[in-house]
Amino acid sequence: MKETLLLTKHMRDFPENSHNIDVYEKNNGYSALKKVLKEDNPENVINEIKDSNIRGRGGAGFPTGVKWGFLAEDEDRYLVINGDESEPGTFKDRILLERDPHQLIEGVIITCFASNIKKAFIYIRGEYAKPARRVQEAVEQAYEKGYLGDNILGTNLSLDIVVHLGAGAYICGEETALLNSLEGKRGEPRLKPPYFPAVMGLYNKPTLVNNVETISSVPWIINNSGKEYAKLGVEGSTGTRIFSLSGHVRTPGNFEIEMGKSFGEFVDTFGNGIKDDKKVKAYIPGGASAPWFTGDQLDIKMTIDDVANAGSMLGSGAVVVMDEDTNLVYAAKSIVSFFAHESCGQCTPCREGTTWLEMILERIASGRGRLSDISLLVDVCDNISPGLSWPPKMTTICPLGPSAVSPITSLLDNFSDELMKMLPTKIPIAQ
Amino acid sequence: MSDQININVNGSEIRTDSDQLIIEACEDSGIHIPRFCWHKRMDPVGMCRMCLVEIETPRGKALVPSCTTKVSEDLIVDTESEVVKKAQEGVLEFLLINHPLDCPVCDKAGECPLQDQTMAYGPGESRFVEDKRHFEKPIPISEIILLDRERCILCARCTRFSDEISGDPLIEFIQRGNKTQVNTFPDEPFRSYFSGNTVQICPVGALTSTSYRFKARPWDLKKVSSTSNCSSMGCSVELNVSQNKMLRILGEDNEFTNQGWLSDKGRYNFEYLHSENRILKPVLNNDSTNEISINESMELISNEISADDNSNISFIVGHNSTNEEYYALNNFVENLNKVNKDQNMNVYLSDDYLYEGFFQNNDLLGKVQDLDSVDTIILWAQDIKDNLPTLYLRIRQAVKNGKKLVIFGHTNTAMKELADSYFGQEIISKNLEFNVEISEIPNFNELINDKNVLAIIGKSSPIQNTNSISNLINYLDKNSNLKILNCFSKGNTFGALQNIDLVKGLNEFINEFDGSKNNIVFTIGSNPVNSSIHSNQIKDKLINANFVISLDLFKNETTELANIILPTTSFGEKEGTFTNLEMRTLKQNKILPTPGSVLNEWEYWSMMLNKIDIENNYESEFELNLQLCEEYLDKDNVPSFDNLNKPSNLDGVLNSKSINIEIQNVEPEKIEILFVNRLYGDSSTQINSPSISMLGAERFIEMNNDTFIKHNLSSYTVNLVQGVSTLQVKIKINNHLPNELIIAPLNRRGFRDIDTTKPYELIEVKNLEELSVN
Amino acid sequence: MSWDNELLERAHKIIELYPQKRSALGPLLYLAQEKDGFISDDSIVEISNLVDITEVQVKSVSSFYSMYKEEQTGTYLLSVCKSISCEINDSRSVINSVKEFTGLENYETDQDKLFTFEEVECIGACGGAPAVQVNYETVEGLTPEKTIEMCEWLKNDKPEIIVADQLQNKFGGTKSFDWAIEDNTGSAYTVPGFQNIGTAKEKDN
Ligand SMILES: Cc1cc2nc3c(=O)[nH]c(=O)nc-3n(C[C@H](O)[C@H](O)[C@H](O)COP(=O)(O)O)c2cc1C
Ligand code: SF4
Ligand code: SF4
Ligand code: FES
Ligand code: FES
Repeated sequence: MKETLLLTKHMRDFPENSHNIDVYEKNNGYSALKKVLKEDNPENVINEIKDSNIRGRGGAGFPTGVKWGFLAEDEDRYLVINGDESEPGTFKDRILLERDPHQLIEGVIITCFASNIKKAFIYIRGEYAKPARRVQEAVEQAYEKGYLGDNILGTNLSLDIVVHLGAGAYICGEETALLNSLEGKRGEPRLKPPYFPAVMGLYNKPTLVNNVETISSVPWIINNSGKEYAKLGVEGSTGTRIFSLSGHVRTPGNFEIEMGKSFGEFVDTFGNGIKDDKKVKAYIPGGASAPWFTGDQLDIKMTIDDVANAGSMLGSGAVVVMDEDTNLVYAAKSIVSFFAHESCGQCTPCREGTTWLEMILERIASGRGRLSDISLLVDVCDNISPGLSWPPKMTTICPLGPSAVSPITSLLDNFSDELMKMLPTKIPIAQ
Repeated sequence: MSDQININVNGSEIRTDSDQLIIEACEDSGIHIPRFCWHKRMDPVGMCRMCLVEIETPRGKALVPSCTTKVSEDLIVDTESEVVKKAQEGVLEFLLINHPLDCPVCDKAGECPLQDQTMAYGPGESRFVEDKRHFEKPIPISEIILLDRERCILCARCTRFSDEISGDPLIEFIQRGNKTQVNTFPDEPFRSYFSGNTVQICPVGALTSTSYRFKARPWDLKKVSSTSNCSSMGCSVELNVSQNKMLRILGEDNEFTNQGWLSDKGRYNFEYLHSENRILKPVLNNDSTNEISINESMELISNEISADDNSNISFIVGHNSTNEEYYALNNFVENLNKVNKDQNMNVYLSDDYLYEGFFQNNDLLGKVQDLDSVDTIILWAQDIKDNLPTLYLRIRQAVKNGKKLVIFGHTNTAMKELADSYFGQEIISKNLEFNVEISEIPNFNELINDKNVLAIIGKSSPIQNTNSISNLINYLDKNSNLKILNCFSKGNTFGALQNIDLVKGLNEFINEFDGSKNNIVFTIGSNPVNSSIHSNQIKDKLINANFVISLDLFKNETTELANIILPTTSFGEKEGTFTNLEMRTLKQNKILPTPGSVLNEWEYWSMMLNKIDIENNYESEFELNLQLCEEYLDKDNVPSFDNLNKPSNLDGVLNSKSINIEIQNVEPEKIEILFVNRLYGDSSTQINSPSISMLGAERFIEMNNDTFIKHNLSSYTVNLVQGVSTLQVKIKINNHLPNELIIAPLNRRGFRDIDTTKPYELIEVKNLEELSVN
Repeated sequence: MSWDNELLERAHKIIELYPQKRSALGPLLYLAQEKDGFISDDSIVEISNLVDITEVQVKSVSSFYSMYKEEQTGTYLLSVCKSISCEINDSRSVINSVKEFTGLENYETDQDKLFTFEEVECIGACGGAPAVQVNYETVEGLTPEKTIEMCEWLKNDKPEIIVADQLQNKFGGTKSFDWAIEDNTGSAYTVPGFQNIGTAKEKDN
């Protein structure tokens, strides 16, 4: 198993100065932009993206070409790049922002050309100060060189990019919450309908929201054609994906591979196995929101559909490996606390339920659990995510609430003994 | 209008509008879906998740919030399935885990949706063994509202109301997630004209009114629907009474008027009813120790009336009487006239200047609801937010729904942000006249030409020249499809105009007062010596009058000059009808007993007639109403008690009686200071309602920053000096005002001594000594 | 008024970046935090005037986001990640070592206003778990010992500008990925150093 370098090639080739515009230009950078400007056919660009079958890399996996096709007509339309990357386990957008900002900017310009957009925002989570600085520096270089601003490269294309910093709220990764945040409001997800970004997005105008990795793929697709891209990977999961590997592996990191290989192979090849040669007890295939797989399920294929069929999701592409000595109750508690802390608080079940779950787990973890807590956990989970089905029934405004249930159902389904071990064996007589 | 479609709810077919939400469609068919956050007058937020229902989708059954999901043809909805029940019980449990168990001391108990739902669906014993969220128990967030964050279920009704409906977002969510709480900014209390609505729509006891706190239990309340006197909008209200005391006024959702909302004045201006300052017996010569019987008082008055065949009898009538009372007054005048042809009788409405309005052409008269259907709304009137607060809300709503708003003049600066075009000093002079030809106003024609236009028109200032208004109306009439809403804002003005044959303004009282004659003056529910810009002249006349009779609730500057004060009934103590600004007749109902030996106005008129041996032909409000109705041609829509009491007419009926005001035109005068009425002022009723009595105390003037600088001011407290009179005032900067124009509140203490047509000086208050002297 | 002309000028520049004023709210809150170390009520009033919304609307937004602080922070904001990858890589011992060194509990600031300590959710350095940020500059692959060393260094050297690469070179270990590019930019306040809000700082070598 080998990496296939599309998005991370340039940074590998020029590790010390891949972020520099001269270096980028010298190595074919901005050639895709020049190509589309020369052809001057926005429709073609959209068709290439459609042909590539690329699906969004932000987590939901929505086909990007289709999304671009939905964008409603309007004089003012916006592109917003989602660089809020905050799903625990995920750090792949960070490398793209830090080490190849021009690739993203080129992708942004092409996208805006294709969709007749004159203003783009790159929304980067507040904690990514350094990546944001890099991107801003690159944006300034691009302005200087005439890739941004009025009359880009002498054409009548105009585009402004504003890099905007978030301020510590995971929920702002959800696209409508992100738009609220960008409007200077609380980062609360909006109701869909009616607030589909492609129709009523930023300032209620049609808006494309795409992930950093998605848009960073655009220059390669334009240079090599959508069809070439579609040849990589497998059907339904074309192209490459940057997976963030972390946890108890020997060599964590970001690895760009074609989708389709098994998790086991991935962990062995790139993670070089588990530290101290331990066994895998469980792993998370797609970020903290995803239900866990067990160490016995390492042969599941890394494609959007295979993972979905096995009852989880490839999500943000974050693989977190937990070895045989991991206390999974603590692990689950960590994830539940995350969601409780990050709930925006609009929906009753998410706001109250996630905190309640956290409190119960906290109690169990500190030895104050009760036997009845198991059924209580199940029922509270069921009240947040009715039926505990996967994918969850959408009974809250956004999927964050039901996501908080994933680690608990994972724990109860496959590792209930770990939980039982932490509970008192008898019901105390006096209470 | 939208199409009608069929949906299936719990196995039954329902016909409904295609643009409705599931929750609305069900509601209309009598199927109640529990909810906390949804409110039919606000945008849905889908936050509480109580209203989940199951619908059939191509991918099987789905749980969806019925408050955010629209109906569609043949939609199958289940509001009672096991899954729905389970979800609702789950939500309730979540809401209750952090809700205090203080129902026994909560004002909301007994009418609390959370409590009701818990009885109906709720889980029994709590499975929540952790600590509840704790907050400081009720904190005052304004003079009239308390907030208990522990009880709050974060439904965002209050925050949405203040943002979406009233447009003064002073109450908001703070923090996020499980720490979310509602609050105000420390230095900026919830000072909104509409704050009380949040108390009414809060589904739990988190927001409460100081005036109602611990006063009653809902099950002890007697309730009746009525119509508010607060403005000529005639807002529908519900009066709540316990042990013969009015405790609360709630807004009722009248589609044609207030749509459920009230201003805080309409809501809280009732404590005066039980004030110990009320006059309960007739008083002679303003001497409280000199109380007389009603019979004696009638004796005295009728003697005065019959004493001189040549007397001038003047009636200065206020805005708070019922149509029946105005009718009875008119009848009194008519009858007196009949027996005593030489007496000169005049009725004046307690308005500084009355003007004709636009009533000549009935077809031009608009409705409040036109706001929702026209293209453009034109506003030239006094300050709408202060004088017709619920109409202000409707205009906001209309603008939100895409109607264009055009504002003329300097009195509606509060709405400038809402307006598509705001014509201030470039177009309208300080004197409220056009600076340019109307046809030349930039960007105006495209907003009105061949458009449906509703013009909300009234005088911006009592001394305004009305030519410019007429010109505007003529222009609009020629170029657009025009409707007019005549903007007389006070109480039952339209009732007075409809039921009294000839009314004039106070300016004419002053002109017509002939000192050489025997003058008898009645003041009826009016205090012109305090409330008029002509107060000094009126005071002179009343002092010079031979006999003054005041019908009133309280002693005031006018009754001080009366030979006899007759105590009258007030809102809630009398039954009658009210005509609002779109000629909608609405019912006012009695729920309180009459205090002391107080009588209704009409009873006095009737007794006086009896005393002077004129036969009168009515013995009750009911009979008065029947007589009054005889003048209405459209028999199906007569505003009779019977008709108005029909369930189908609870929102009132439109009447067709015409209004005709004939007055002398007033010579325009130069405006140096523009007087506007503020919502809160120094009326006797407000001053005698402790909860809101202080809200009208502040004395301030408004000007723009340039004017501030031009006057060489550096402090925001100044003395407003005019001749010998000096008034200490605060300055508020309002940059929407034109240069050199100062706006002052007419209905605040001290301001009536100022002559708005004369120059003034602003002198800085330098030190605290000076401050404390004043 | 509490904001001086220089700050107001920066504020106006930020506002100009956006089609609607209110969008500048987030960046302006960073200015407020740079000024006082937290979001003061005075700054809220100032910002509410700048973007034309009410004070409580500003407060509603500022209190929603974790990075706007309601209480004054110290010179150095130590944010230790406790999310899943760090949790299973023993972030607890890093947390404990910070607690021990500073004597602070979560969200506390010491009396000298030198350190503020907080436990935070994932900071996108999971491959280099356990990870910490100092004034939003990331250090990866910390050990309890190195953490204490770092705190000591901060306390003794009191660097004016915190630079991620410098911290990483001095105290860090395993990284999420090769940082490769040399970098000496950083931040000088308890807000992210970033050009658009005028807080990016370069360290002289
Ligand atoms: C709770 C939540 C958090 C999310 N966080 C992110 C994120 O950090 N970055 C991201 O790109 N997408 C995130 N998403 C997905 C976005 O809503 C959206 O689908 C994505 O930005 C679309 O871009 P794409 O089509 O290129 O993937 C999140 C979604 C949810 C529900
Ligand atoms: S599910 Fe949670 S995070 Fe999502 S909108 Fe509802 S409360 Fe907010
Ligand atoms: S105070 Fe009342 S109305 Fe406001 S959010 Fe809380 S429960 Fe809802
Ligand atoms: S009423 Fe529908 S979610 Fe609250
Ligand atoms: S889990 Fe700690 S940095 Fe991601």
